[in-house]
This record gives sequence, C-alpha cells and structure tokens, in this order.
Amino acid sequence: MRIKKLALTALTLFFSFSLYAAETIKIGASMPLTGMFAVPGSKHLEGYQMCVDIINQNGGWLGKDVILLAIDNRSDTETSISQYERFINVDKVDLVFGTFSSKLTFPTSTILAKYNYVLPIPSGGALRIYRRGFKNLFYFQSNPAEYYGKQLLAVVRDRASASDQPKTVALVHADDFFANSIANGLLGKKVKLPGSGKLVEDMAPGYIVEAGMKLVYHEQWPEEGFSDWLTLANSIKNSGAEMVIGMMASPEEAVQLSRALKTVRHNPKHLMLTQGTQSEFLEGLGDATEGIMIYAAWHDDAPYEGTLAGQRMNNSDFVAKYKAMNGKLPDEDVAITFALCQGIDQAVNATRSVDNARIMSWLHTRTSRNPVKTILGDYYWDSTGLPINKQALIVQWQGSKLKFIYPTNEFQASSMISPKPAW
Amino acid sequence: MIEFLQVLILGICLGFVYALMVSGLTLIFGVMRIVNLAHPILIICGAFVSYWLFILIGLDPILSIPIAGLVVAALGVVIYKLIFERNAAQQTYSEMTVLLTFGTAMVIDGILSFVFHNTQRTTSPSYATDAIFIGDIFIPLAQLYSGLVSSVIIVGLAVFLKYSDFGIAIRATSQNRTSAELVGVNVKFVCLISFGIGCALAGAAGALVSFIFSFFPSRHWEWIAIMMSLVVLGGMGSLKGAVIGAIVLSVVSSMVGAFISPAWSTMVFFLSLFLILIIRPKGLFGIQSD
Repeated sequence: MRIKKLALTALTLFFSFSLYAAETIKIGASMPLTGMFAVPGSKHLEGYQMCVDIINQNGGWLGKDVILLAIDNRSDTETSISQYERFINVDKVDLVFGTFSSKLTFPTSTILAKYNYVLPIPSGGALRIYRRGFKNLFYFQSNPAEYYGKQLLAVVRDRASASDQPKTVALVHADDFFANSIANGLLGKKVKLPGSGKLVEDMAPGYIVEAGMKLVYHEQWPEEGFSDWLTLANSIKNSGAEMVIGMMASPEEAVQLSRALKTVRHNPKHLMLTQGTQSEFLEGLGDATEGIMIYAAWHDDAPYEGTLAGQRMNNSDFVAKYKAMNGKLPDEDVAITFALCQGIDQAVNATRSVDNARIMSWLHTRTSRNPVKTILGDYYWDSTGLPINKQALIVQWQGSKLKFIYPTNEFQASSMISPKPAW
Repeated sequence: MIEFLQVLILGICLGFVYALMVSGLTLIFGVMRIVNLAHPILIICGAFVSYWLFILIGLDPILSIPIAGLVVAALGVVIYKLIFERNAAQQTYSEMTVLLTFGTAMVIDGILSFVFHNTQRTTSPSYATDAIFIGDIFIPLAQLYSGLVSSVIIVGLAVFLKYSDFGIAIRATSQNRTSAELVGVNVKFVCLISFGIGCALAGAAGALVSFIFSFFPSRHWEWIAIMMSLVVLGGMGSLKGAVIGAIVLSVVSSMVGAFISPAWSTMVFFLSLFLILIIRPKGLFGIQSD
C-alpha cells in the first residue's frame, strides 16, 4: 500500500514537472564556472540570469516562464561540446546562449550550426569562428580579435601628445585562441582555419608596422599553469619597450602581468591590456592601475538605449538596477551577456516565436535603421555574424575608476592620462 | 651574466614557496600513503583565511600564517576523521585515496565557489609589488619574504621530525607502519596529527600564495600537476626531496622562460614528471614502500 502511494506520488510529481516543463521555454548555456575562465564565465552567467529574471518578472516569453539551464563546462572544450549536444538532444532546449571565449566558441559553434540553432556569441572574437560559412552566428561585441590592434594603437596615435608617441613596442600574450588572434593582426600574420589550413585573411604588414613602430619584444606564455611573471616582466624591461601590449583571455593574467611590471619597475609610456576592466583588477593592483588602458566592450557611462521584455532597459537603467541589487557597479562581463539576452528577447517578442529559423532570419534582417537595441549599443550583422559598424571602446583606469577615452566620436570621452604614471 | 643571476634569484625565491606548497603533500604521503589531490584546494583555503584577515582587520598575510595554518589543520583533521580513518585498513587504501582526495577537492571547490564565487583575489600588502634593487639586480620583496618564511617553516618541520619524540614517531610510521605499531607507536594518532600538520603547511603556504599569485577556488586544478611533478622529482614522501625538487624545477623553469620562451617554462614541470617516472620512478630521494 505504501509502495503504491509512493509510486503514485512520484508519478504525479513527474507529470506535474512534465506539464510545467511544457509550459516553459528552456535556454541552454554551457558556461566556464570553474577552470581558467571561471571569473569571466561566472560573470557572464550573472548577466544571463539577471536578464532572464527580469523577463520572468514581466510575464516571460509568449506567456511562458523562461528557464535558464546553465552547466559548468570547467573551461573545457570537450565538455562544452557534449553539454550543448545534451541541451539539444536530451533537454530539448528551445534556444541556446553562447559561452565564454573563442577557445570554447569555435568548436561549439560547429555543433550548433549542425542543429541549426541560433548561436548568439557573447565572447568569441576570433575571425576564424566566423569564416566557415555558418549562418547561425551573431556576435554581441565589436570587431573580431584580429582587428583589435588597429584600435589599440590608434588611441595612442590620436590622443597622446607627440612626445608620448612610442617608437618601440613589446607584445606579450597568452598562447590562447583569442590572444593569438589579436597578435596575428598586430604582427601581420596569415590567419588560417585550424585543420584545413584554409586562408581566412592575410593581416600583412600588421598594425605595428603600419603604425611605424618597432617590435622589440614578442613572447607568449602557456595557456595554463604559468606563474613566472617576474621573469617575463624582467625580459620586457630589458627590451626597453616604450609601449607594452598584453593580450590575455583571463583577468587573472592581467593582474599578474601588471604586478610583475610594477615589481621590476618597468615604466612604459603606455600599457595596454585586453583584460582588466573587472573589479578584481582594481583589487589586485590598487593605485597601480592608474593610466592602464583596457580594450572593452562596455562602459557604465555609455548612453546606449535598449529594451527588455517590452520595456525600456537603457544602459543607465541596467547600471542602476544592478547597483540596487548588488551595491556595486557591474563589470563588462555581466553587461555583455545581459545585452545578448536583450537581443534574443527582442527577437522572440518580434517573431512571437522561439523557432530558431525564424529568429535567425529576423536577426539577419536587422539594419542600421532597425537594429537590435542593447546596453552595448545597436547591433546588426553581416552574413558571417560579425556586427557592422560596432566599435570597441578603450577605457583607462583613472583614480580607481574606469574612464572611457576612445573612440571620441562614440560618446563623451574623458581626457587621457599620458604617459602612464611611473609605478 | 647579470640576467642569469637575476633569473637564478627569481627561481630560487619562487622555489622555496613551491617547497612549502608541497612539503605538506609529501609529509602526508610519506606517513599515510595518501596521494592528497585535495592539497592544492587546502592551500586555497589558507589563502582565503589570510585574505579575509587582511581585508577585515588589515592583518599582514605573513602574520596570519599561524591562523591560516590552524584553520586548515582543523579542517584537515575533520576530513581525515570523516573520510580516511575508516578506510585505512583497506588493502587498496593508497589507490583509493586518489579518488577520495579528488572528490574531496571537488566538494571543497564547490563550497568555496558557492560561498566566495570564482572571483579572483589577491592580498596586497605594501611589499607585494616592491623590490630591492642592487645595481641591475632586483630582488622582489614578496618572493624574498615568502622564500625566507617558507625556509624557516621547512627547517622547523625538519628539526621537529628529526629531534622531537613525536617527529621520530612520524618518521617511524612513514618508514614502516607495521614495525612502528609493534614498538608501541600509536599509528592511528600519528596519522591523524600528521594529516593535520600536512594541512597546516598547506594553510601556511596559502597565506604566502595569497600575495604572490591571484587565487580563486578553481585555481587549484592548475596546481595539482605542477605540485605532483615537484614531489615526484624529489621522491614521494621525502621532505628533503620535495624541497630540492621544488627549487631545481623552479630555477630550470625560470631559466627556460627567460632564455628560451615562457611558452615552454611550464613544460619543464611535466617533462620532468615523465622523465623521472621513466628513469627513476621513486624520485631522487624517494622512500620504498613498506
């Protein structure tokens, strides 16, 4: 009798859950919550979750609650691939959200293209991701990583005084999919597809040569387990480079490189990094952040306008809401995924559907006049999935705050500290 | 020549920190045959203790070593009682501990990630990014202080193991558990305390690591392989071997980083692991199992 009751209860629960699941819209996201990308990965998830919570508070999508199924992929590509396979074949998710990093996005995008799922990408800027003929990709940041170098050098050319123009540059980076892509652009290398070797783009002569600078030091460190930052910083110092460009995929590496440069007392005129907008960077370096420039996708002062769940959600609204909830400013890693979720929310509401083909078609037909409007600005894409006319932002740490300094035509830019103050 | 000397100094300083990081690992293996894959996450626990003491009351990470050591030792004793003691009699105990400690590491990682999030943290005492300059040579204060403190702790541990009655009991247990029991050593108690001491060393290392490296809960996965290569080179269970292995590999890794490429510096640890396992599996000063 007792067993019968238990079985009946279990069946009731099962069918109740099944009914509930049928009344919900599921989104799958394989996120690096542990491992080398744990810090940005966790913040990316925070942005997704915040956005989904707001959608649900406003009635969900198509009258249904939205469930975000987020699983830790341990920063591992194989795990991430199998998780997206599982989302589609077992969990039967309606939509997916992209993961963090080019390294994880490159292989997972192949799987999602196979199943014709829309893949909105929050962080995955390597050009190679977009030049394989896939039509399901939509990148929610700015230029591909290979083009970053142009802007990294332009900010100094355009905003630093003549006496602060560097003649020599040291380039150091992680041996990582994303960081190597930026280096390819700066060094003028050929970008090829892994495996086939098919040429994607020839970046020659490279942005460093185009800028008339001399490369005096170029090194990369291994993707994982590197700890000998002082030796690396000492080598940079010995090169006498007037500008140091550090390209990394994790903020932890940005802290370590900066601390090591400070310890060996190498004082370049400019220090430019591709990570370091996070609060952890400030915590790790304190006042030593002064004058360090970072390549970014978002800034809290940006006057970008957007919507979410049919209501206004401008960048200022997002910042205010996040501050009210957490008592601090959001990091760009939270803002990026929030913006991506805004974009998909607009697609779902416009098509009144979670059908991937319809959403893909709607996103492809966005234009400068009718873009997706997010806290990262307006988005519309070329056929490869790269955003058109979307500039990245250069920010600089000034007085323990991140100030937007470039490009000056984007919105009100702060003055630039040049040269970087001595450590 | 100056660059060679500079890299040598940096390698030695970092080597002493590595030595402290692995001293507890090798002690635990030597006495209990536990391959403690949870050791790196215990170091992270020590780093968190030190971090919060620094943030909340401004206590210098070096001064917080005793507290970090005690807290992690207490945690270690609880873990030992709950997980290892009851399985000590099993024939496949040593092999089993690999899985048990791996699972323990995952659980602690999960708890820390849930409580503190995977946010990277660093303590920033004034000396963390300072250095002494002697001509063209510089000695980073963080590495210098942590190297000195590590060497004091390791020498203290060596003296304790060599001259104290309890240290002799630990060594006896590590050399031959059965014989030690026969001559009246309370092996069960020795194992419990040794595990606690090993964990205390992890806590102490964590306090030093907190201002040398950034840390976050899942960072420990990166350290496991490096730490295993250090103890395998020196010989599992040998304190002297662990110290020498740590310093040698740290110096060689720094040299490779400076004169070949940083891209290859981490490879030194893994290459040495392969070579030692092929050429001399018990390591330079490894002990034979009883």
